[in-house]
Amino acid sequence: MPTAADSVLDLPFDAEPDPEEYLRAAMRWHFSPETGSPFWLERAGSLDFDPLTDIRTYQDLTRFPNFASQLRDVPAGDLIPRGYGDRPDVVGVYESGGTTGAPKRIVLLRDWLDRLIAWSSAQLDAHGVPRGVNWLVVAPSGPHMVGDVIKHQTAYRGGLAFTVDLDPRWVKKLIAEGKGAEAGAYAEHIVDQVAYVLRTQDIGVLMCTPPVLERLAHRDDLAKLIEQKVRAINWVGTQMDADTRYLYRTEVFPDAKLYSGYGSTMILGNASERPGLTDDEPCVYDPYSPYMTFSVIDPQTGRTVEYGERGQVVMHHVSKSLFIPNNLERDHATRCRPAPGRAQTGDSVADIAPVKEFDDETVIEGVY
Amino acid sequence: MSTGLMELDALGPRGTFRSRNRTVVTDVAGTPVAELGLVPKLFVSRAMTALHRAESLPAAERYAALARAARIFTGEVVAGLSFDAYEHTVSRVSGVPRSVVRAATAAIAEAAERAEYCARQPRPAGAVGDWRDPATRQGSAVWTRRGNVFAVHAAGNHPGPHSLWLEALALGYRVAVRPSRREPFTPHRLISALRLAGFGDDQVVLLPTDHDAADEILRGADLGLVYGGDDVVRKYAGSDVLPQGPGRSKILLTAGTDWRDHLDTIVDSVSHQGGVACINATTVLVEGDPAPLAAAMAKRLDGIPSLPPEDEKAVLAVQPVDSARAVERYLLAQAKGTVAHLGGDGVVEELPGGGAVLRPAVHELDRPDAPQAGVELPFPCVWVAPWTPADGIGPLRNSLVLTAFTDDEKLVDALLDEPTISNVHLGDHPTYWMRPGVPHDGYLGEFLMRTKTVIRD
Repeated sequence: MPTAADSVLDLPFDAEPDPEEYLRAAMRWHFSPETGSPFWLERAGSLDFDPLTDIRTYQDLTRFPNFASQLRDVPAGDLIPRGYGDRPDVVGVYESGGTTGAPKRIVLLRDWLDRLIAWSSAQLDAHGVPRGVNWLVVAPSGPHMVGDVIKHQTAYRGGLAFTVDLDPRWVKKLIAEGKGAEAGAYAEHIVDQVAYVLRTQDIGVLMCTPPVLERLAHRDDLAKLIEQKVRAINWVGTQMDADTRYLYRTEVFPDAKLYSGYGSTMILGNASERPGLTDDEPCVYDPYSPYMTFSVIDPQTGRTVEYGERGQVVMHHVSKSLFIPNNLERDHATRCRPAPGRAQTGDSVADIAPVKEFDDETVIEGVY
Repeated sequence: MSTGLMELDALGPRGTFRSRNRTVVTDVAGTPVAELGLVPKLFVSRAMTALHRAESLPAAERYAALARAARIFTGEVVAGLSFDAYEHTVSRVSGVPRSVVRAATAAIAEAAERAEYCARQPRPAGAVGDWRDPATRQGSAVWTRRGNVFAVHAAGNHPGPHSLWLEALALGYRVAVRPSRREPFTPHRLISALRLAGFGDDQVVLLPTDHDAADEILRGADLGLVYGGDDVVRKYAGSDVLPQGPGRSKILLTAGTDWRDHLDTIVDSVSHQGGVACINATTVLVEGDPAPLAAAMAKRLDGIPSLPPEDEKAVLAVQPVDSARAVERYLLAQAKGTVAHLGGDGVVEELPGGGAVLRPAVHELDRPDAPQAGVELPFPCVWVAPWTPADGIGPLRNSLVLTAFTDDEKLVDALLDEPTISNVHLGDHPTYWMRPGVPHDGYLGEFLMRTKTVIRD
């Protein structure tokens, strides 16, 4: 495979490259005609700066326009850097949630998947999630990325992955149309499928969304099976408030490790819950920097908010396989300092939520 | 972390639960008074499961415990609050005048004390209360529950409605109450008192929640009770959730009645309870010229002073200034095209200590079916309209209470036959007249109970 890559782009997953050195190497890779992707090479000319010389720090990445929305339309193959040659090791083409219009597409390459899984697996170790156990993954399969990644991760950690498919777009559609009962029926359909696996298979880790977990906890027979078998619960997809987390930890599933990730297709992976948080601390997520980096901005001014303040999350993905800078997510979060003693580029985030909707509308007529 | 505010926590099936998610309850001046802990959906669904698993106390113990709870509610320090401090607080946060709060809490205590009597009134004459009754040897109806767990989405406009769900507890239901975030003090004190009096933590629970988890309380119950407007009534009509909708109470004076003899009753029906209740008169219909009556009512109502709600002499309800202004804007918009006798230029009077009084409004309509006649607002706001026998009972429909001054027995028959009129008061009885043992909007027991035939050896 012809590569002109700097070795800094191919370090072991747990090496900590100098972020600026790493970034400049990535710019050379993505914006050199021999190695860059057709997507970036086509757009390089339209930039009012030169990525090779003007992008020196992660702060400089904000000079890029938000190209993410173009990922809805471009041929996916154009995203693959030429440096991977004619037969790139493609794991799959995946799509974003698709709640805000047409979905965005990315291509997942093997070298990034390997790196992501090695890192992610180390996070699971840090949380005490056991290796060598089977996972039950209640998550979307294609076109979303999470199902496939977790399957690979389970194999990497020495277990079988059992899956129950979940179509988040359909659920969101039902809810948007006010079809709450149908959404509930769909959720029960998922719970019924989970039940078959839980009853017959030896499941050590359960991965699901908080709403599915609530339904499982509500079914006495399934709650008992989880209590008996499941040693860790990895929740993803939506957020869980601190009181609910506390109830799971103390009352509902006190023997299982509760762990979460905050993922986005646009960073090709997920940030990981910080180990050792107390019940009263917010759920803080640390990104896999410098490959994924976050900042939290005031959507009105575009300026970074203070630590502890809330704002909208901006994400950068900078790897050899893909470059997506300056992507403004829908989510809002609290800006947090990196974990003490950790050399992390950018912010950590906590209390992820869609833009807060207030319900204090004044009801006028009537006496109630 | 102490904020120096009162702390109101969920009263769950395993005792008090101090949640991290907290909301501040403010008084009418906007001053923070308490922090209310809101529980998540998971807590709610587990609490509802616990209520289903629990057993009820035997009937005699329930009645005794309810009576004890009445004494604790009114006589003891509960959750750090004396009865006096509690009433003061309710007055400050809900804006309901102190004297009205006092009457309402007395009604709650009476409902608890006389729970056995009240619970028994709705029982059909053909039914006995227990299968052990000798009547079942010949075969008899036995009055039984339609479920075991009852949920209440409480309103915060007035403490009074909390007397209603005590009937469910007396009948052997386990009860979950979601308090209003505006006035959570009354259900918190009442449930605390019920627990001190002998009800188990898994027999009656207080579940403050945000909107997300509110439906879970109803979903987890066999039967429910909710308060709200026309939309809420439409949503729940005919379901296992009983909606308590708008009052739109009215007064009718037919020819041959001189309103001058009844002005006290008419005016009181409008302004009693600060005008915040569903049993306050919204509309007065009079056979003949409505103008002199409207003018006389306006004169009487105009004399009521504007006072802070905790003042012993306060009659009018108080709201935060912003919401009072919103109500005023709404009134002025609705009142276009009517004749204002009082409040035509606005009804808000801001108090020096914060908050605003909603002063009475009297408007004259030119016909009984004018759209304004159905506009019920949470203060003494009345629409006075002409009525003739030719108009019939159409304009009298949809009334929680109808006070009729009339000698026309045929008309009275029609009022009793009309399904959308819930209570008929004949003669000099204000719309707000209520006593334990008579139904408010039908007996709650009609909804909670059913009959079964039992025949035995």
